[in-house]
Amino acid sequence: MNLPGAKPIAAPGWTAKPKQSISLIDCDVHQVPHNREDLIPYLPRAYQERVADYGFPLLNSGYLNVAGRAARTDLAEKFNQEDHHGGNQNWAYQRLRDYHLDVWNIEFALLTGETLYTASVIPDPDFSSALCSAANDWSRENWTSLDKRLKLALATSCSDPDLAVREVNRLGEHTDVVAIVLPTGAQIPYGNRFYHPIWQACQEHGLVVCIHPGAEGTGMVGAPTGVGFPTYYMENRAARASMAMAHCTSLICEGVFERFPELKFAVLEVDQYWVPGFLWKMDADWKSLREQTPWVKKLPSEYFRQHIRVGSQPFAEPERRVDLMGLLEEMHAEETLLYCSDWPHFDWDDPVTTLPTLSPELHQRIFVDNARELFGLGNDS
Amino acid sequence: MRRVKWVKVAKTNEIPPGHRKIVVPFRGRAGIGIFNIRGGFYALRNICPHKGAPLCTGRIGGRMVAAGPPSTLEQTLVYESHGEVIRCPWHLWEFDIRTGRCLVDSRAQVLTFPLRVEEGTILVQHPDSLPQP
Repeated sequence: MNLPGAKPIAAPGWTAKPKQSISLIDCDVHQVPHNREDLIPYLPRAYQERVADYGFPLLNSGYLNVAGRAARTDLAEKFNQEDHHGGNQNWAYQRLRDYHLDVWNIEFALLTGETLYTASVIPDPDFSSALCSAANDWSRENWTSLDKRLKLALATSCSDPDLAVREVNRLGEHTDVVAIVLPTGAQIPYGNRFYHPIWQACQEHGLVVCIHPGAEGTGMVGAPTGVGFPTYYMENRAARASMAMAHCTSLICEGVFERFPELKFAVLEVDQYWVPGFLWKMDADWKSLREQTPWVKKLPSEYFRQHIRVGSQPFAEPERRVDLMGLLEEMHAEETLLYCSDWPHFDWDDPVTTLPTLSPELHQRIFVDNARELFGLGNDS
Repeated sequence: MRRVKWVKVAKTNEIPPGHRKIVVPFRGRAGIGIFNIRGGFYALRNICPHKGAPLCTGRIGGRMVAAGPPSTLEQTLVYESHGEVIRCPWHLWEFDIRTGRCLVDSRAQVLTFPLRVEEGTILVQHPDSLPQP
């Protein structure tokens, strides 16, 4: 195949070849419309009128998440040359296919959406739910129906759990739907019983619940950090781990995994360096404070290892290999870590220079098998 | 085989049900705790296997259990086994007074001493005559 851009890393000194012999599962790929207006036909007429009158009500935190919608500029330049207006409706998918799926021999890619999954934070739950449904129908028609390698995490508004359950029931049995995705920004952490009807529905349909950065500090949800609003985008990114920990502790302490023993969560793009210390801390505190939450019957780390998976991207870059290996060992990466690229964003992790020298066994777990087991992706998918 | 030695540690009327007495009957300054649970007597080493704290001075109470998380709307918080659990003063680890078993870490076990009561006197077995661990 002679693809322009098929050697996607053009940096000086780059010598790695794509590992075309190894198939991968990529658990964080963003399907981005060229124009958000592409979604309008998928809305009910009433909300088409709303959008025509008021625009999309999605809210922006005001932080500077990198120009060009945070996309890699090497891709953006390519896209600007594409003939988007020449009647090719599938150019965005073709971009993903030609510059990512085929290049890296990706067996499955989880589509985690564009920013519509942050709709939970807008005040009108009916409008937010309609936006998510539109995004899901658009994603299925323009992405997953074109390529069996693509799997969808449903955009889900959880501001009204009944509406979220309705959406999960509407689409949860389709073979291209394997998950839902929610923003890290939330009014209350995701273990709270408010959300349990959604978790019930996800368990029934075998859908994984993904949590992905977004919406923090916007709409109805609180500041990105426990000490309020930081000034700069970099501070906002640094706060992601604290949000992931808050949600994970909540899930464990509220007994979510006792109540829903088949339910799985995947926390994506919230870093991973925090997992070892978090597990140590949770276990130590449980031994002291178990009597306050006696429905938590096992060590928190045991729930984490059984029910929570962590996306690899953006992967920490310790100076010393011994520290990297210690991190992987202490987080039980052979169970918990999922390869994620975050395509097409500037801070993506390619599958060659990310975790490059693992044993073949550990590489297989992180880049393929953990995701295959989590999402039930098999030969029949 | 060593001869079994028994050491007098207290009179039964010194330790009413629900109470304890800490004694230092043989070598080692930490001593042991003698507990009365509804008329039955038990002896534990006064050293927590976690960090060496004076375990037997901790709060005696019961155990909080739950059939399921509160969101299941079942009766969740249930208090049981009153008087049978001691919580170490440092870090609050729970131990079963009868067995010395730690209730929050299966690898932790506080040393227990065989104990008998003779005519109102409580005797514990001297550790020199215990099987070596």
